[in-house]
Amino acid sequence: MPAERMIMLALVTDAYGAGGGIAQYNRDWLAAIASAEGCEQIAVIARHGRIVTNGVPSKVHQLGIGKGRLSFLMRATVASLRLPRVDVIFCGHLFMVPLAVVLARVSGAQVWLQLHGIEAWERPGFLLRWAVERVQLVTAVSRHTRRLFLQWARCTPESVKVLPNTVAGEFTPGPLSADLQTRHGTAGRRVLLTVSRLAASEQYKGHDRVIQALAALRLQEPDLLYLIAGEGDDKPRLAALVHKLQLGEHVRFIGYVPDAELPALYRLADVFVMPSSGEGFGIVFLQAAATGIPVVAGDSDGSRDPLRDGAAGYLVATSDTQAIAAQISAALKADRPAVADTGVFCTKNFAALAVSLAALSDSGPKKATGEKVKG
Amino acid sequence: MNSLRTPRPLTTLIVNECSNPNMCGIAGIHAYHYAALPVAQAELRVMRDHMQLRGPDGKGEWFSIDGRIGLGHRRLAIIDLLERAAQPMHSADGQLVVSFNGEIYNYRQLRQQLIAKGYEFRTESDTEVLLHLYADKGTAMLADLRGMFAFALWDARKQATLLARDPYGIKPLYYADDGWTCRFASQVKALLASSKVSRTPEPAGIAGFYLFGSVPEPFTLYQEIRAVPAGAYLWITATGAGQPQHYFDQGRVWANAAQVSLPPAAEIPAFVSAALHDTVASHLVADVPVGAFLSAGIDSGALVGLMRDAGQQQIRTATLGFREYQGTAADEVPLAAEVARHYGVEHRVRMIDEAEFQQDLPAILAAMDQPSIDGINSWFVSKAAHEAGLKVAVSGVGGDELFGGYPSFRELPRWVRRLWLPAAIPGLGVVTEQLHAAFAPLFSGVNPKAGGMLRYGGSYAGAWLLKRGLFMPKDLPALLGEELAAAGLHRLQPLRHINNSLRSLGGNRFPHATIATLESSLYLRNQLLRDTDWASMAHSLEVRTPLVDSVLLQTLAPLLLRVRGNQKHLLAASPAKALPSVVADRAKTGFTTPVAHWQQRGAVAQHWQQIPLLRTENCPWARRWATVVRDAG
Repeated sequence: MPAERMIMLALVTDAYGAGGGIAQYNRDWLAAIASAEGCEQIAVIARHGRIVTNGVPSKVHQLGIGKGRLSFLMRATVASLRLPRVDVIFCGHLFMVPLAVVLARVSGAQVWLQLHGIEAWERPGFLLRWAVERVQLVTAVSRHTRRLFLQWARCTPESVKVLPNTVAGEFTPGPLSADLQTRHGTAGRRVLLTVSRLAASEQYKGHDRVIQALAALRLQEPDLLYLIAGEGDDKPRLAALVHKLQLGEHVRFIGYVPDAELPALYRLADVFVMPSSGEGFGIVFLQAAATGIPVVAGDSDGSRDPLRDGAAGYLVATSDTQAIAAQISAALKADRPAVADTGVFCTKNFAALAVSLAALSDSGPKKATGEKVKG
Repeated sequence: MNSLRTPRPLTTLIVNECSNPNMCGIAGIHAYHYAALPVAQAELRVMRDHMQLRGPDGKGEWFSIDGRIGLGHRRLAIIDLLERAAQPMHSADGQLVVSFNGEIYNYRQLRQQLIAKGYEFRTESDTEVLLHLYADKGTAMLADLRGMFAFALWDARKQATLLARDPYGIKPLYYADDGWTCRFASQVKALLASSKVSRTPEPAGIAGFYLFGSVPEPFTLYQEIRAVPAGAYLWITATGAGQPQHYFDQGRVWANAAQVSLPPAAEIPAFVSAALHDTVASHLVADVPVGAFLSAGIDSGALVGLMRDAGQQQIRTATLGFREYQGTAADEVPLAAEVARHYGVEHRVRMIDEAEFQQDLPAILAAMDQPSIDGINSWFVSKAAHEAGLKVAVSGVGGDELFGGYPSFRELPRWVRRLWLPAAIPGLGVVTEQLHAAFAPLFSGVNPKAGGMLRYGGSYAGAWLLKRGLFMPKDLPALLGEELAAAGLHRLQPLRHINNSLRSLGGNRFPHATIATLESSLYLRNQLLRDTDWASMAHSLEVRTPLVDSVLLQTLAPLLLRVRGNQKHLLAASPAKALPSVVADRAKTGFTTPVAHWQQRGAVAQHWQQIPLLRTENCPWARRWATVVRDAG
């Protein structure tokens, strides 16, 4: 960190008062940067969520929620002008990067862009590409997202780093919940689990291929039960497939599961499986593994990272139903590890790397004059 | 405009034997990210041993206790392979570990300076000098090194790996950072030997190859693999590979040269001669048998004379010959023999024919680390030297770039002077290029690049592209398809890429300095030196280049800054016994060999015959050959 303590402006989709992986990621990031000695303050403007006071670091100032685009733009602009200076603008989503770059031009700040996954995989329009080329630091949640981003972005690879998701402390091994066992009818059965949205636009998650694999697996494991957690408009298609394959006894759609209930749900399962080909990272794999259950994931996307290239789970070709069945079968036979192999994805490691990157983000040249602009 | 390209002369290689070379291959893996798995020892060994030919006599490896970093090394022994000098080498306190490829020519002076400061040495090697010099000065050490080198140095206190490369980029060094783990090696193909390195294509590297005939660094054909730039270093820390930092820049040398006062005109020949004697002497180790690969050109002949002056008594020379040229003006054998007689050296001729070329072709393509339209000549030069039992060679490469021997030094200033005004008229260049494309096929003998004169000829960067370019940007869609061509041009920005090498010249745009910088930063670096490396390494031969030397450039730049045209006469006159006038006064001709014809015949023809652009009667051979080497890459 430079001698002068850093003032950052964070433009995020959501952080406090919101659920989901991106909000969690942003909270982790804000906590990490705020913990750094060299940080003076972080002003946060979010698109969603709400202003909260509990659990927010003292250096983090929530300057409002801009729910509409115009409102967000106005708040961000006013914040950048009213702050004594802005050293770094953290841009929490690719779609905000033109705004971040323009504000940085005005305030003399550097831009740190965060990529979460699939939004950065395809070459976007001119405006986004123009803005991305003017960013000083990019962090991606996974190596896969970094690689695909670099295929279209004209950035030097040295400016694009990987800052992975973390797993929250409540995801630990523990006793089975009798209530959930009863509710989902899992007693005495071997349980496969997938947790995700069931969106027709996200069929890459691979529920259908697990269902197809199940048709073969049930011959070896007659008591097998596949729990599908989540809601969405793809559910009718999946239900039709279950009906067609006559797997009604082996598949159960359990709907939306609140965050607080997730650790207990994972513990209920024998194997977590999601042969997805579209994960930016796949935080559910980390959560599942942290509760001590084996994980089966696709081998061609960001899923490789939480599974650490197969050292922490079973990787499988997502289009190969037989291979999916074989890996599920292997995972069912495997002993559960006494200690979950997800320790490296702790918030401590995340924070240390984020702070190092913050120093990196603030080390570039300032405006043409070499001076930071004072507000 | 001259023909597109002439093959590089076969004959500017001089060979000797000396005592302490590090003609090697280095490799390493740094698992820097907390989520990365520890280094797999087997993976490092696969990368290292892919470079067996770079160092057939020894191999070494080192892994940190925590398994986060591994360094590998392959070594060629010239006389002795002392265990205490083996690599990777660590400092006495174990805090520094280095894997090094190359030669530090001034290591003895540096060693004495370090001993005077209290550093204790365990070996006689230049590798140990690197360790102590780094401990003494950090990365500022790089400016003190005279030589050719690429090394990886692990600093345990800093918990970081330093990758560094010599000023001109004589020795290669590539790295592949996947976001968790950074792998590095002397060859692209060594990195690809690891199954963990992505093979996703890099459009900029592919487009650059077709534009320039070699892949322009820092790009390679693969998105993940990059070259450590010449004259630069970078750190791999807990945040991954950092931005390369340049410690040497040829343009800056030329820019600074404008401030230096010149010796009186009468003293210039002696001044140049002294600088050349100094560089040759520094590149040699005395009292060992010496051989020279000799052509009819000034570079290799003058170097033989300078080596004589440096005290080399026994010099053996060899020349490549072609039966097709016997008795013709293109045959260099008679003039080379005359130079050999002039300096009283033992002379040999090695004949090459098409059958040998076709027989060697698979091995050539396998050894070619990145595609290049040149390098065949370097292959046979190295092969001849290897057959003669030689392991170390000295090359005259770089003389044309320094002394203005290429036609580009004469032609580019003329083009820019005449074309800058019409080139500035918006749209005119594009229109003439399109007219040329439409009508040129109706006439035979029209240079395929002539249509670009107005579009590119008005600036040095554009004129250089026109002169050196293999294909023009407009040709790429026919070769690569619209999408890949557009992506490649967007990512490479060819004119910006060329201009980048001139940036540090600032307002100092003296023609000689400008063209020397372009030729050295692009053609010499990306093609000649790279070809020399893979072709010689494939024959376990170390090549040294006294005319590619940062000290020599700094000494001569003030003199050469304002000159116009070819200054090779200074080189020819520099030995105590000057070159014979029949060689010194010989007009530079487009050096040709029958290889250009061989490269279009036989099984390789199936590559280029599929592409209409290459079937035209006046298609230069190099364009056809490019498709062959690209497919092999």
